[in-house]
Amino acid sequence: MSDNLTSSIDRHSNTDIVQKGLSKRYNAERRFKFYGIAAICASLMFLGVLFISIASNGYGALFQTHILLSVSFDSDILGGEDLKRANYQGVIKNSLLKMFPEVKSRREKKSLYSLVSSGAAFKIRNILIENPDFVGQTMDVWVPADDDTDMLIKGYMKRDVPESERRLNNRQIEWIESLEKEGRVEKKFNLAFFTAGDSREPELAGIWGATCGSFFTMIITLFLSFPIGVASALYLEEFAPKNRWTDIIEVNINNLAAVPSIVFGLLGLAVFLNFFGMPRSAPLVGGLVLTLMTLPTIIIASRAALKSVPPSIREAALGVGASKMQTVIHHVLPLAMPGMLTGTIIGMAQALGETAPLLMIGMVAFIVDIPGGITDPSTVLPVQIFLWADSPERGFLERTSAAIMVLLTFLVLMNALAVMLRKKFEKRW
Amino acid sequence: MNPTILLFTLLMLSAMGFYLGRQKSYAVGNKNGGVQHLHSRPTYYGSLTALWCAIPALIVFFFWLFFESSIITNLVISNLPDPIRELPPDRLNLVVNDIKNLVSGNIVSGKIDPGMKAAADHYQSLSTVSHASLSVIVIVIAIAGMMLVQRIISPDLRARNHVERVIQFILIACSTIAIFTTIGIVLSVLYEAIRFFKVIPLTEFVTGLDWSPQMAIRADQVGSSGAFGSVPVFMGTILISAIAMCVAVPIGLMSAIYLSEYAGREFRNVVKPLLEILAGIPTVVYGFFAALIVAPMIRDTGGVFGLDVSSESALAAGLVMGIMIIPFISSLSDDVINAVPMSLREGAYGLGSTKSETIRQVIIPAALPGIVGGVLLAVSRAIGETMIVVMAAGMAANLTVNPLNTVTTVTVQIVTLLVGDQEFDSPKTLAAFALGLMLFIVTLILNIIALVVVRKYREQYE
Amino acid sequence: MKKRLICAAMVVTALTFGGSAMADSARDYISIVGSSTVYPFATVVAEQLGKTTDYKTPKIESTGSGGGFKLFCAGVGVQHPDITNASRRMKSSECKMCGENGVKDIVEVKVGYDGIVIGNSNKVEPMKLTRRDLFLALAKQVPNPDGSDSLVDNPYKTWKDVNPQLPAIKIEVLGPPPTSGTRDAFVELAMEAGAKNFGFIKDMKKADKKKYKAVCHTIREDGAYIEAGENDNLIVQKLDANPDAFGIFGFSFLDQNTDKIQGSFVDGVQPTFEGIADGSYPVSRPLFFYVKKAHADVIPGMKAYLQEFSSEKAWGEDGYLSEKGMIPMPTDERAKFSGDIKAMKTLSCDDL
Repeated sequence: MSDNLTSSIDRHSNTDIVQKGLSKRYNAERRFKFYGIAAICASLMFLGVLFISIASNGYGALFQTHILLSVSFDSDILGGEDLKRANYQGVIKNSLLKMFPEVKSRREKKSLYSLVSSGAAFKIRNILIENPDFVGQTMDVWVPADDDTDMLIKGYMKRDVPESERRLNNRQIEWIESLEKEGRVEKKFNLAFFTAGDSREPELAGIWGATCGSFFTMIITLFLSFPIGVASALYLEEFAPKNRWTDIIEVNINNLAAVPSIVFGLLGLAVFLNFFGMPRSAPLVGGLVLTLMTLPTIIIASRAALKSVPPSIREAALGVGASKMQTVIHHVLPLAMPGMLTGTIIGMAQALGETAPLLMIGMVAFIVDIPGGITDPSTVLPVQIFLWADSPERGFLERTSAAIMVLLTFLVLMNALAVMLRKKFEKRW
Repeated sequence: MNPTILLFTLLMLSAMGFYLGRQKSYAVGNKNGGVQHLHSRPTYYGSLTALWCAIPALIVFFFWLFFESSIITNLVISNLPDPIRELPPDRLNLVVNDIKNLVSGNIVSGKIDPGMKAAADHYQSLSTVSHASLSVIVIVIAIAGMMLVQRIISPDLRARNHVERVIQFILIACSTIAIFTTIGIVLSVLYEAIRFFKVIPLTEFVTGLDWSPQMAIRADQVGSSGAFGSVPVFMGTILISAIAMCVAVPIGLMSAIYLSEYAGREFRNVVKPLLEILAGIPTVVYGFFAALIVAPMIRDTGGVFGLDVSSESALAAGLVMGIMIIPFISSLSDDVINAVPMSLREGAYGLGSTKSETIRQVIIPAALPGIVGGVLLAVSRAIGETMIVVMAAGMAANLTVNPLNTVTTVTVQIVTLLVGDQEFDSPKTLAAFALGLMLFIVTLILNIIALVVVRKYREQYE
Repeated sequence: MKKRLICAAMVVTALTFGGSAMADSARDYISIVGSSTVYPFATVVAEQLGKTTDYKTPKIESTGSGGGFKLFCAGVGVQHPDITNASRRMKSSECKMCGENGVKDIVEVKVGYDGIVIGNSNKVEPMKLTRRDLFLALAKQVPNPDGSDSLVDNPYKTWKDVNPQLPAIKIEVLGPPPTSGTRDAFVELAMEAGAKNFGFIKDMKKADKKKYKAVCHTIREDGAYIEAGENDNLIVQKLDANPDAFGIFGFSFLDQNTDKIQGSFVDGVQPTFEGIADGSYPVSRPLFFYVKKAHADVIPGMKAYLQEFSSEKAWGEDGYLSEKGMIPMPTDERAKFSGDIKAMKTLSCDDL
């Protein structure tokens, strides 16, 4: 009887205690949830700010100012039969002079010529080589404008500041304005940016060479680092005996993750270039170095993923007679796959944006020709960004941002693939 | 047959081997009263055939190609006219380059003389012969391997054990790569580091409070103090990493918790990849962001409160670095939190705990090893980061814990010492290697501590 | 099945790459390394060569002068670079290292000059500095302000302290780190020349050369001089954000950013194209490149590259290199060096 009484009193007071604490606990719950939302909003805000600042700077590079010239392929000016080596610069100069016949002095002529890009000559050269029967005719051709003209048209260069504070003088601006009035100046989609290799003229510089280089490098890195990383994680986590040796390996891998990336460059220089004699500046070597650099990230993430597969899964598989290898490959690996893919995404993202180790193996270089394979000299997107960011010409500023946009697109595409895979494997139990 | 096509053929052959082996094992099984009477499942017989078909042939293939080029080159050289043959080896190498250019139809340096042309033809014919014989040998080996396994397939053949042994061998081989990398790194910095310590005593390097690597590197140049005390540099690294972690750990962890426990599936599928983009933005971009937007902002804010903020403060670099490493923590933690079994949550809910209590008291402890793994990775990345600090925090080595001051980090010093105008026997350049080695040792110690700590607090559920 | 297909596709790609990697390839392009100061000019020439001839565009790495010499001097052969750029002359020790590795015949070519600018935001009046002011503002140890012939740690906080005619702005100069060649040139051309204004320091040169160099070449480390890395664009943007700060950078960056920054007068001359070309602006340095003679005949395009670089349309007064900010050499110097190229006149280590 008395037992019953005390327990009912106890129950009563317990409920009271719970009731009393409830609102406090609910508040704590709401606060906690709010922290979560705030954290996500903060990170997304950072991402948004970065994106907006990049996009607003780089948007301009998608368009390039062109000037409409009426070019006469006069065989006198072209000079000689060999269309490959003809004087195309002369043709361009001639058509500019025709438009502004009042220009006489040498100095003025020079500033007139500089309104049009040096790439204009190559453009009309390609037209003429494709259609050799144009010789002697006159036709209207849109040619790229010089980067200074481009900056003026896009409004980066102010027209109302004193002459000494801008790169175009008053006469040049007058000429451009009269061209504008005649409708001979237009901003066109900048196809060259997506199809050309590097150049020292901003209006001719393109990202395609670096994109190819990045592609080759990343293919090598992905095909080496993902299988090797997953395999080492599997061995270390599932098969290796737990003893001092595996501890050493674990600490060692964690430690490799903290080695500065430039040190991997030193390693690549010593091992791949000097010892194995592989070619300098090649995506092959870049890919190998980046593989070594990303491996720790992938191994650590994969091991964490394997650790989080509950032991019951393994025990069940072993219980129905699967071998250790079958258990791991058929049951544990698929469950750990999302985590492994996350590690791979992050590792590859890091590899895609890395510059420092490539410095040591000669990939920080000026390379115009588009690489065709993994042993051709090439550069990669972040290096291209780094080099452009260091160029004096103002036109490279917006191109740097545009290149970053290309890099991010590359990254997003790469991630989308991995995210799709990850979604397929992901499971809660 | 060119090597690429040959490789492809080999692949086809081993795929064929797989099907043949499996077919054969079905046949054998049926003869002996059903597949269940075989030692292993038919797939294993197939795999065994494919492995025997591919592995020996691949080994031969790669060895052949590895030696082919130098053998052919030597053969061609021995046929060259005497005056060229007697050139020193490095000059000869240039001539051979010219011949190879001629062979591959590239543009060559000068006029093509008949001798060169003959050499190029010789080279061409030798490499044709070599490729042809390689193709024959490789295909014969592949088919032989395939036939061999076909012959010995029987109910008693322990195919699964064989295949598993091969796989295990591959796994072990892969996990040793990390060890070799470490050995390689230690070897590639050790030699130079020892040379450095011959000039600068180790004690001065480890305990010195002044870092000013301005030792003259040329006879005609005089530097300033030339002090090589690494303490301020390491302090700078610790300071900046600590600031970065103060940003990244709370934001990253809370994001992970929200994504895995509160958010809907759709929201999570969108936000998680978005956050991962943060890790992939090139560090040059973060560098510009830190130097041109964050640093002036901090300086102006500091000015309002009457604080004297350096225009290149550790705070700016640390903050931006923290943003960069958020995904290391958020994504990896999200995965491990997600992998905590539902039964644990349900148990906690069943006892009446709220969601946040469940998370704090059940899920986080269960997921701790994985979370610590992610945090360690993030710390590692912070320690190894260079560009942001170069651009935003400068290179002045001040011994300070004030985040508003300018500091420098180990990696920044390594990079500037290595890529500047350098000479390879001056302590100034060698200091980079010493710093690398030192950093390696310091992080090693930190990792050992982390391992011990994690092991102590780790809880395995179920 | 799908999984297997994906696997197969992966293996095929991997093997294809593996196969092509094994294929042995020859070098049919010029390989150039060296100074990041010469890089913007050499690349223009390289691009011109690639576009106007059938040769491939040379590959140019930016490794710094010292790193360039190290690679260049490693030996003769396709795996070693053909040309190295330098923002200073080769040292005799480097020349000896080349010789030991079999690189005996080297052709030296001077290509032009580069001005080093002390600039600030154009929102304020340009400063009229002298090299003496620069020395007093930036050296670690300066002559005692009380006039005695002794050195004290630099006490100056503002430009006005240095020279009463200058405004009372805090001294804050962003400049290259000690590993940079630009820094070497700056201390030599600006600081050392400034220090010579003080008689007792000048006398020191004869008595104790080492101490003299240490006094002239040592930059203060108390925060007034900020080592800002090698990215000159970043320096320009930081100057634009902070009108009180000054920066030390190459002339081409001033040339491209006249709307944001201005060059300070040094000894009464502003850093303009003409001022540097005629030598009246005191802080400018020569740029070089070095060619391996052994490679000139066997690497495709070498002759054409040298010819292009030394043509009037490239390094002449109105050449395309001058448009990129390089200051051309006087006519007679140009004639001398283009003669050297034609004759492939080699360098002797004793001349350095």
